[in-house]
Amino acid sequence: MTETVSITIDGQAIQARAGQSILEAATAAGIKIPALCHHPALKPIGACRVCLVDIAFERALHPACTYEVRQGIEVHTRSPKAEEARRFALELILSDHPLDCMTCERTGSCELQDLAYQYGIKESQFPGTQHEYALDTSNPFYERDYEKCILCRRCVRTCDEINGVEAIAVIQRGWDSKIGTAFDGIMQDSPCEFCGMCVEVCPTAALQPRLGKQQGRAWEVEKVATTCPYCGVGCQFYLKVKDGRILGVASKWDAPANHGWTCVKGRYGWDFVHHPERLTQPLIRREKGGELEEAGWDEALDLVAQRFKAIVKDHGPQAFGTLASAKCTNEENFAMQKFSRAVIGTNNVDHCARL
Amino acid sequence: MSEALRRANVLVCGGTGCEASGSHDTFQRLTEEVERRGLTNEVQLIHTGCRGFCAMGPIVIIYPEGIFYCQVQGEDIPLLVEETLVKGHIVERLTYKEPAAHQAVPFYSQIPFYEKQKRIILRNCGMIDPENLEEYIARDGYQALGKVLSTMTPRDVYGEVKASKLRGRGGAGFLTGLKWEFTARAQAEPKYVVCNADEGDPGAFMDRSVIEGDPHSLLEGMIICGYAIGAREGYVYCRAEYPLAIKRLEIAMAQAEEYGLLGDNILGTDFSFHLHVKEGAGAFVCGEETALLASIEGRRGEPRPRPPFPAVVGLWGKPTNLNNVKSYASVPQIILNGAKWFASIGSPESPGTAIFALTGKVNNTGLVEVPMGIMLGEIIFDIGGGIPNGKPFKAVQTGGPLGGCIPVQHLNVPVDFDSLKEVGAVMGSGGMIVVDEDTCMVEFAKFFLTFATAESCGKCVPCRMGGKRMLEVLTRITEGRGRLQDLVTLRELAAGMEEASLCALGQLTPGPVKSALQYFEDEFIAHIVDKRCPAGACTSLVRARCINACPADVDVPSYVALVAQGRYAEALEIHRRTNPFPLVCGRVCPAFCEDRCRRADIDEAIAIRDAKRFMADHELERPWTPPRYGEAKDQKVAVVGSGPAGLTAALRLAQQGYPVTVFEQLPAPGGMMAFGIPDYRLPRDILNADIEAITRAGVEIRCNQALGRDFSLDSLSEDGYSAVVLAIGAHKSSKLRIEGEEKEGVLPGVDFLREVALDNPPDLTGKRVGVVGGGNVAIDAVRTAWRLGASQVHVIYRRLREDMPAYEEEIKAAEEEGAIFHFLTNPTRVLGDGHVTGVECLVHEPGDFDRSGRRRPVPVPGSEFTLDLDVLIPAIGQSPDVEWLAGDPAIALQRNNTFEVSGALCTSREGVFAAGDAVLGPATVVEAVAQGNEVARAVDHYLRTGTTEKTVMMPGYEVVEQPFDLDEYADARRPHRPELPVGERRGNFREVELGLDEETAREECKRCLRCDLEWLETMQLAFEPVPARQASKVFSASRRDNQ
Repeated sequence: MTETVSITIDGQAIQARAGQSILEAATAAGIKIPALCHHPALKPIGACRVCLVDIAFERALHPACTYEVRQGIEVHTRSPKAEEARRFALELILSDHPLDCMTCERTGSCELQDLAYQYGIKESQFPGTQHEYALDTSNPFYERDYEKCILCRRCVRTCDEINGVEAIAVIQRGWDSKIGTAFDGIMQDSPCEFCGMCVEVCPTAALQPRLGKQQGRAWEVEKVATTCPYCGVGCQFYLKVKDGRILGVASKWDAPANHGWTCVKGRYGWDFVHHPERLTQPLIRREKGGELEEAGWDEALDLVAQRFKAIVKDHGPQAFGTLASAKCTNEENFAMQKFSRAVIGTNNVDHCARL
Repeated sequence: MSEALRRANVLVCGGTGCEASGSHDTFQRLTEEVERRGLTNEVQLIHTGCRGFCAMGPIVIIYPEGIFYCQVQGEDIPLLVEETLVKGHIVERLTYKEPAAHQAVPFYSQIPFYEKQKRIILRNCGMIDPENLEEYIARDGYQALGKVLSTMTPRDVYGEVKASKLRGRGGAGFLTGLKWEFTARAQAEPKYVVCNADEGDPGAFMDRSVIEGDPHSLLEGMIICGYAIGAREGYVYCRAEYPLAIKRLEIAMAQAEEYGLLGDNILGTDFSFHLHVKEGAGAFVCGEETALLASIEGRRGEPRPRPPFPAVVGLWGKPTNLNNVKSYASVPQIILNGAKWFASIGSPESPGTAIFALTGKVNNTGLVEVPMGIMLGEIIFDIGGGIPNGKPFKAVQTGGPLGGCIPVQHLNVPVDFDSLKEVGAVMGSGGMIVVDEDTCMVEFAKFFLTFATAESCGKCVPCRMGGKRMLEVLTRITEGRGRLQDLVTLRELAAGMEEASLCALGQLTPGPVKSALQYFEDEFIAHIVDKRCPAGACTSLVRARCINACPADVDVPSYVALVAQGRYAEALEIHRRTNPFPLVCGRVCPAFCEDRCRRADIDEAIAIRDAKRFMADHELERPWTPPRYGEAKDQKVAVVGSGPAGLTAALRLAQQGYPVTVFEQLPAPGGMMAFGIPDYRLPRDILNADIEAITRAGVEIRCNQALGRDFSLDSLSEDGYSAVVLAIGAHKSSKLRIEGEEKEGVLPGVDFLREVALDNPPDLTGKRVGVVGGGNVAIDAVRTAWRLGASQVHVIYRRLREDMPAYEEEIKAAEEEGAIFHFLTNPTRVLGDGHVTGVECLVHEPGDFDRSGRRRPVPVPGSEFTLDLDVLIPAIGQSPDVEWLAGDPAIALQRNNTFEVSGALCTSREGVFAAGDAVLGPATVVEAVAQGNEVARAVDHYLRTGTTEKTVMMPGYEVVEQPFDLDEYADARRPHRPELPVGERRGNFREVELGLDEETAREECKRCLRCDLEWLETMQLAFEPVPARQASKVFSASRRDNQ
């Protein structure tokens, strides 16, 4: 049984699990503490200072994301001191962030925009020089716009903690800090596998998928849960769909097989769906040397059944073999081998993921 | 392994400072010379660690006598060996000279630098060979470890350290013993002992010195800690930039292991402890404990939020005790001598000693260890020997780049963790940088901020971005682009960073800016509003330091360059644009310009005042008529007082076309120039030549017109004057406020000088005269009394000679003329029946520091003595005479009766302005001239617009070519100023200082380095003259125009 501790957050008595952070305990109790560098799937680092909270009898403010709950602590997430510090951090972040929300892909789903809105920060009271980085469009999957990077390091931690690749890290220091690969090269020259998890966790538009750009606002897309068609792992994620077209993929963090993680195929390999040359109807070549012609499903299936029967009859079941695809589900693959063995009567069953 | 006893032990400092000044060579030569003379069996040579007095390196100390030689170079060795080691004499040339008296101090024990120090942590530094374990053992080394392992439980050990109240010497001051206890009580295994030797403050080298000079004290402290907390392994995290420290540490570790003092089964017990050295790559932030631990683990050196603290989750996630080098090095002494002994040293809440790296503008730089609680001023003035070249102390930065500056008014603050915090600074790890008036506090704060922001790791938002924003704001202020709103922004950024930053680096980064703002806000405002850097340090605002130093913004290099070329009229024209008193100032100006002359950094300042005098005298025959700049106007202006402020204001207004009348109370114009400064400094005809030029501009001067008697402010306005400038000076002598002051024969200083100037001098022939005070009026009175035939002239001054506000050359002249000085003396009673017969005085001694940074004179009880006198002249200060106001509240006054004025020099009565001594209190001619210029601008603005806002003029400049080769003047020296021989001065008022001849003056001007031309190059400006222009407005700034 997990040990629980009693704490108070904003006057509300809460039973928290021992070992939980204040942020986790608050979230579980439905109390929202603003945060930027925190992500539930990643270890907390306390860097953005947006989740600073006031704890009774503590001189300094502490980040709710790293502060472990202790029996009896009294937390004030909205004390004037905490709110001032939070606003200070936000003002500074915004002082080095392009305010081009009009055309920004993340409008409506940007965590920084949401906080600026909540705190009514139209423009920073600490204006100054801003970083100028060229937009990096060198890889086919995502763009890197480091002018929008707030150095929350979610991408770095994701690459390290989730994917274990460590393709990126913080390079330089202080004001010159930026996220980069070794020797600040392009992603292709790094160990990056383009799994896109960094893009998924990015709170702003610093990392942005190239597909689906300028095709739909956050509030226009519908998220449809699906299972990835690529392999048999059964990863689930959401397809972001607008007007019947897929615009992108979003993690489904409660997916039992993959806990939200994806690989490059699942994340970016869906563009075939709307490909103009994709087959959407059966085609039949009705006479030898003739063109393939569109046919109905019944006609096509009848033709296949008829030909299968003829082959088995003329050459025996061993003349027949099935090759199944990793893009099919286990159930589909099961049905396929059952069909081979029970209907056709052969053990010539194979699968592309066998190797 | 014992060695034969030698006749002499010669200790040569091998610390980094002395090594840098050549001690390696010194030691080498010494070894050769001792061998050559066959003294090897008699003289023991020891290469020690740092002695601390780095400015005087290489240092050699010879025992048993304790002879202290400094700056001993290789070539001095034959003499040293011959005289001292063979013959037993002291070589005076190599001894330390006390800076003030230049007195030789031959013995170590007498050197003032060491006198107030108390060496606990550094006790072995410079005394033993750091690469020889036996020498450490001979100084009680490893006895504490023996005691711990044989007689104490771990709990006893941390209990003892706790009882000693030792506080973390890394700077935060957390109780070391308590930290040990936390780590000891933590449940997980294994545990680690880590030493923070990542000393990264610029200029600080205490940890380095301890490791280089006495590495075993650190090892012993760490091993004891290991025992106390239950750790078997430790790390010393030392910067890779300290190769000597690392080398000595490794030698010490190897020796300690060899002797069974480190490693397995220490001293035959079950206790084992292993040490490793981890070299840091030099990131300042790795001095923060969690960043340091990350760095040891091989990760990016960045801090993480605490809790959890390293005592619970430290190195590799295990309980870790982390202390500074000095904390560990203090421990063996605490164990050996007991917690009580340690707690009795220093101040109750901060016991023990603190080590500071004393540097900057201080005579004795180096490493000093002092008991906590010592007065800050004692470190700077007694140990540090004060400020070089007698300049005033301005501030000291403690705590390194994350500390704060402490200004002159806090010299009495006890140096300990809590007291320093109270005045806005921190103890830090012990940097102490002293600055004088040449340092701009905005620039100074910017310097530290630049360092701190460059060292920010970039992890948390407030530090990464707040520091940058602060630096941007400071940069624009130093470049003259600041706004008043910037001060608010700076404070907001400081508060935000302190509150929200992740680690101490970010939280303390604003420290220097905050403290500079707290104590030197006026300097920030000068940059922002006046576009002026008072210290003359900010390049964008300072065309040349001399111009910047001049209150009247006189374009010094231009006129000096023109004098060099023989173009005197043009030179004079430039001078008069901002100062219409070249003849006067060529004689009596304190020449602030010369104090800041860059040539003085090489040899001596240009004789600017002498050049000016020559230039002005040369043109004496060609009377100047001031040019008219503005059209004739109707509005009349009245100026009350015809001193330098009044006359300058009158002239400028007349040049603008206003009809100006000057009302003068006395029978002749000139104010203090005529009735304060005696004729032997400023002959009346010379003064009158400058004044006549002003009357040629159309200024009418009415003498014998006293405010309150002959006219009033109301009558002036009835007479149609649209504006009034009160430039009434400060002519009222301050009272001594002692018994008997009303007696006959007591003549207030300014009254005395005035009577003499009015040709009505008291008969002082054969009389004994006493003058009380140390300012210029006092010295003028002294020299005047002597000229009037006084038999003795006494100067009674309550402080020391170096504290006298009078000009050095005047004090010297008074000395030459036989004045008798009584320093640290104050009159307590005027004696005599009706007429003065003497004065009773009390001797004082220097006490703590007052707000001016001078030692406060404290009376010595029972030290009364009587000085027999016939005349007593009190000259301890002046204030404006405001009796005419008769308490009228229409014009507000400040406490010393000077006028309360706005930024535009406007008094509280509409249309009435004030300038000069009446605003500033007693000051100089050139400061009064500057005020005259300023008040004229304010009056003009008022008369044109009806408003009284401050307008700031950016001074214009000429660009005078440089037709000769400066290299030819590389060796040229400043000429001696000819003077009337002392023997010819008595009984007359002939001018004492005589001018330079033409050839000398021109040649002297060619020594000028022409900083003005260099500035044009630096600023990438065209070599074109620029007229004076009004600064852009800066006085109201909203958030929006911050951008």
